[in-house]
Amino acid sequence: MLNYILRRILIGAGTLLLITFVVFALVRNMPGSPLTLDLAEVDPGRRIREEDFERMKRAYGLDKPWPVAYVHWLGDLVQLDLGRSLYEKEPVTTVIGRRIGPTLLLSVASLMLMYALAVPLGLYSTVRSGKLDERTTSTVLYMFYSLPSFVAALLLLVFFSLKLQDTAFELPLRGMTSGSFAEMSFLGKIVDVLRHMLLPLICYTYGGLAYYSRFVKSNMEEVIRQDYIRTARAKGVHPFNVIVHHAFRNTLIPFVTMVGLMLPALLSGSVILEQIFSWPGMGQLFFQSISRRDYPTIMGLTLMFSFLVLLGQLLADVLYAVVDPRVTYS
Amino acid sequence: MPQDERQPADVPAPPAEVVASRPSRGFWAEAWVHFRRRKLAMTALFFVLALALVAIFSPMIAGTKPIICKYKGRIYFPAMAYFNPRWENEIFYRDKFRKRYPENLWEKDPESWAVWPLIYQDPYRRVAADEWPGRPGNPTGADGKPSRQNLFGTNQAGVDVLAQMVHGTRIALLVGFVATGIAAVIGITIGAIAGFMGGWVDIVLSRFIELVMCIPSLVLILALIALLDQPTIWHLMAVLGVTGWTGIARLTRGEFIKLSNAEFVTAARALGASRLRIMFRHILPNALAPVLVPITFGIAAAILTEAALSFLGFGAPPPNPSWGTLLNSGRENLQMWWLIVFPGTAIFLTVLAYNLIGEGIQEATDPRLREAGK
Repeated sequence: MLNYILRRILIGAGTLLLITFVVFALVRNMPGSPLTLDLAEVDPGRRIREEDFERMKRAYGLDKPWPVAYVHWLGDLVQLDLGRSLYEKEPVTTVIGRRIGPTLLLSVASLMLMYALAVPLGLYSTVRSGKLDERTTSTVLYMFYSLPSFVAALLLLVFFSLKLQDTAFELPLRGMTSGSFAEMSFLGKIVDVLRHMLLPLICYTYGGLAYYSRFVKSNMEEVIRQDYIRTARAKGVHPFNVIVHHAFRNTLIPFVTMVGLMLPALLSGSVILEQIFSWPGMGQLFFQSISRRDYPTIMGLTLMFSFLVLLGQLLADVLYAVVDPRVTYS
Repeated sequence: MPQDERQPADVPAPPAEVVASRPSRGFWAEAWVHFRRRKLAMTALFFVLALALVAIFSPMIAGTKPIICKYKGRIYFPAMAYFNPRWENEIFYRDKFRKRYPENLWEKDPESWAVWPLIYQDPYRRVAADEWPGRPGNPTGADGKPSRQNLFGTNQAGVDVLAQMVHGTRIALLVGFVATGIAAVIGITIGAIAGFMGGWVDIVLSRFIELVMCIPSLVLILALIALLDQPTIWHLMAVLGVTGWTGIARLTRGEFIKLSNAEFVTAARALGASRLRIMFRHILPNALAPVLVPITFGIAAAILTEAALSFLGFGAPPPNPSWGTLLNSGRENLQMWWLIVFPGTAIFLTVLAYNLIGEGIQEATDPRLREAGK
């Protein structure tokens, strides 16, 4: 087992190196640089002189060819230095750290809500399988699954801005806090954030809800045909206990792998949803850093995402062996 | 099911002689029989076929150019210019039509006649007042509510939404097929080589697949688009294809590993078939059914990604009447709800249809699921 983990970590480190190399090459070869994009915004009469431009390039480390710059970036990385954001003029770690909170708030809340709803829904549709009410629920859930989240987000925005504005159900449509956030009481602050996160939360959750309740159901359907379920039924165990204790507990193994694969999604946020709701999270940062050509931030985020993806895969495989004694990696 | 005249597969357990007496159906025919039984999947298939018809005949449904006209003694098809601007006959430039066909045709050649599209609206520009005799111009801004004249309303600049959506169907379907086609070719080739060859080839290719999977797709897509000087919708399709093949490759690899130990492969080897022949003539047809499922879902994903990219403003440059572009324009003015509701529904239904078809294929081709469905 230890051997296996070590081998996976070594391979993972190699993959990570390759990914950062490829992404570094890609972003550095994208047309436009943080300097030229900055310049495009100031008025053309006040153009920066050639020598100032060169000096700024040197200061930002943009004068070197990208392979050299990559080696420098790696060297800094070994010293746990991700560099400074070219746009925010702050260390990349600070910039990312500021965005992690809002994204985690949404993703963790959405994850918990999803599990809390998906498991009962999945069990319900196993029990009522094939009946009219189950077919209806499943069809509706399937339609939700196919509804793109950004379309849902826009529809919600339209509905809330046109129909519910100035009613009791009015909700803030953008951002994470109101303008008067600083003066609010502690409780008021909580309520304010909760009100802001409600719409994004719905958009984050409903698609996964449909997916996971189907996932629970298909796992349950395999288990429910097993002999020990028939035995439990035959000896008169309460139907509820058969479903929850005998059947559902045995479907938890695939769940464990799922949790491992979830890891990156928890921190990556959703570019498009955060963009629509102006939610100050990782997805928005990612999008902004690409359009601003903020190389150090892009690289920091890429490193973090790919590290989490690889870690999640490793975790899923290891957990799989831990919870299922039939699986070994020796 | 009443419309299914042939009885076999429906009858639970026919006597053995009956089965033996008729030639057994092939795998795909069998799959089709099972697919046809699924009402939702069939509805979805018809929906996609209808969309394809709309896409093919889009210039005949909505446009401001005659489908066919006789002008100065010759027959022209000006509507074809919607497919490719270069197909517009130069006589209309020379005679200074300036895209206003109705008045110019009557003015410059009283003898002329023309067959017009069903809806006189243009996906690229606002239709002005009296362009078509007696018809008011399109309203602009928030006045462009859905009306008799503009069934789905107009956008900020007064361009008809329905016309844009009809022409956007072409983009949506093309993106789905072309991008996924490219992804399928790359994915199947790489997956097949990795699975069949095994050894270090497999190790290298698997790392490569993992690499592409781990690179955030948005970085990859945006960087590739940015590298092009003037991205067109075709470049976008290529980029989506080049980034979207990993799932297909992994599945193909798995199937090839499983099948390369099968007896028919050993037999083919013993007969002296070449590697390429074994891979593509013997294994691939048997691996195709499971691979077809992620391909169908891939079409839905490609349509979705294109819409999302256009929505974020990174799609093909305007003027392109993509559904995502429409959504993008609606995002700024929420009170113009028709810019969101109609294209949003179109994206939703198309994605739903492809997902249902994929699901149908999965259940029709996988014998285990087929049994479960009974």
